Amino acid sequence: MTWDFLLGQFASQFGLWYAIVPGILIGIVVGALPGFSAQNTLIILLPLTLAVPVPTALAFMIALYCATHLAGGIPAILVKIPGTGGAAATTIDGYPMTRKGQAQQALVLCFIASVFGGLVSTLVTLGLLPWLSKAGLYLRSVEMVVVMLFGLTLIAVIAAKDLLKGLIAGLFGLLIGVIGTDHIYNTPRATFGFLELYDGVPLVPALIGLFAISEALVMIESKMIVSKEGQVRAANAHWADTVEGLRMAASRWWHIIWTSFVGLFIGIVPGAGASIAAFVAYQQSRMWSKHPELYGTGIPEGVIAPESANNGVTSGTLVPMMALGVPGGSTAAVMMIVLQYHGIVMGPRLFDTNPEIAYGVFISMAVAYIFMLFTILPLARYMSRIVLIETNYLVPVIMLMTIVAAFAGRQYQFDMALALLFGVIGYIAHKTDYHVTAILIGVILGPLFEEYLVRSLRISEGALSVLFSSPTANVLWALLVGSLAVPLVRAWLKRRADVSELNQ
Amino acid sequence: MSLNRTPGSKAPLGADLIIPTLALAFAVYFLDSISDLAWEAKANGVLIGSALVALVAVQLLRVGLQVWGGAANLGWDPVLLPRHALGKRIGMVALSALFIFAMDWLGLTLALFLAAAAALYLMGVRKRTHLFWTPFSLAAVAYVMFIVVLDARFPRGPVEILLARLF
Repeated sequence: MTWDFLLGQFASQFGLWYAIVPGILIGIVVGALPGFSAQNTLIILLPLTLAVPVPTALAFMIALYCATHLAGGIPAILVKIPGTGGAAATTIDGYPMTRKGQAQQALVLCFIASVFGGLVSTLVTLGLLPWLSKAGLYLRSVEMVVVMLFGLTLIAVIAAKDLLKGLIAGLFGLLIGVIGTDHIYNTPRATFGFLELYDGVPLVPALIGLFAISEALVMIESKMIVSKEGQVRAANAHWADTVEGLRMAASRWWHIIWTSFVGLFIGIVPGAGASIAAFVAYQQSRMWSKHPELYGTGIPEGVIAPESANNGVTSGTLVPMMALGVPGGSTAAVMMIVLQYHGIVMGPRLFDTNPEIAYGVFISMAVAYIFMLFTILPLARYMSRIVLIETNYLVPVIMLMTIVAAFAGRQYQFDMALALLFGVIGYIAHKTDYHVTAILIGVILGPLFEEYLVRSLRISEGALSVLFSSPTANVLWALLVGSLAVPLVRAWLKRRADVSELNQ
Repeated sequence: MSLNRTPGSKAPLGADLIIPTLALAFAVYFLDSISDLAWEAKANGVLIGSALVALVAVQLLRVGLQVWGGAANLGWDPVLLPRHALGKRIGMVALSALFIFAMDWLGLTLALFLAAAAALYLMGVRKRTHLFWTPFSLAAVAYVMFIVVLDARFPRGPVEILLARLF
């Protein structure tokens, strides 16, 4: 790979602006609407992507994919409804910023962190591709079980004010996620007699119910979702707020870079995905912060970390697909189908046979992020005005339209009722501090956790000791225990310092 | 429990038991449904279910001790308050359920239009123009996006049948 080759690729990707810009615009809409996903949209647009030349199709798909990751944060910040699972962590600080009247700044932080997080991780991937592609090989089923538990524990620690409640919510979600037939014998479990649950609990109704509907039920209590001061600020939204958001992001450039690396490395692990990456990045950000107690109150770092990480995932997810022929996620799988249709075989030989595709994917991603910055940043000022709509109007629109969107995934009316049920559960969880995010991440991880656990146990003929049988897994166990212990030790030290201060 | 309390008042922790009770009931049902299956099919359920039951037991004990000690009662205030929103909240859930149920007969577009108009009225909107145009816009967007563009298998009602004949 020479500089001439790279520069030529960059130039030709910029020439595909006519595919990238529509991809970005569709991706922003799809990402911002709960219930719609990049993979479903790509499936709908499959005839289009199969009909155009490979570089054009690839540029369009990549732009759409990256834009959905970015746009998931928009409703998460404005109305506390993540457009995608990867944006769930963004609600923790993004929504409080909106309530403080800083919606525009939060949106700008989200866009800048997403774009630069995605850009940095893409460029790093481009340089380190041969080595990164091997990283995923070190994580087998045993390590994956610990990774899943690690992710869930972090969410319980971060999201819930009470660790016990967070763990109950996470395990409740994990058990809900296991509903359906088992992986080996296909016997149904806990389906309540519904055939629609044989394939497991669908994620779209769970996401919609736990976030959108439950939040709408909470919104009923107030006339507006922001304070009086926030309304005045939103009504007088000015470009100066966009500039302030840019300044906030620029002064935290290192935060954007290192949290994007968290996303990149988690993205390389097949199945781990943006949800875990965003939460791990948020937790790490809080853990290394000088003021961890401010997290959750609406601070810029709390928006930057998850957004930068969930866009760092975009390039990581494509690494196993390009290098090993194993798609790292469902969107990557759809892209792989399109490329295979055009006769391009993924795997190690791709770098010799089609280097313009192998490296072109990541160059295309970098170019898409650059285009995205100029497309979406000016919109922050106008998007932030949504908070001026009265809840009298917002609640019916959110509830009914998201219930309709719950149908979109599998096209079962049953899923709409399921979304409503999750909405009621989410409302109760919200009001009693059993964090809905922990439940949702449990539901997402449930099937994956079972798959890896059963695979590990089959290797050891049922002995649980297999979970402690590899050095990598043991390091991950230690990190998991550390993540649980650090906040407790910190709280203890703070209490001790307070007591000694009082005594003096 | 997220309500602000006056000093000396008891914390209403009854609502704190709803999620653990649901989780416990579901874990018991799950464990019962897998009792006759091969170990591969139940290993995960047993592991998660047992951990969940143990954590719920700790939470029940914690709440029980607080109630026993007089620091809390079994009130449901967090989910029921504020009272002025309770009727709207129950109404919105009932209306949403009715919308899903009625869609079989009315089709997506008409059911959504009627449900949105009723929901706006329930939320306190009284301007007639808003009660018509907001639901009309929602129904039109849903029709174009889901029926025309995506060709989703939503139940077809009189509006969809009429529009299909016209265009």
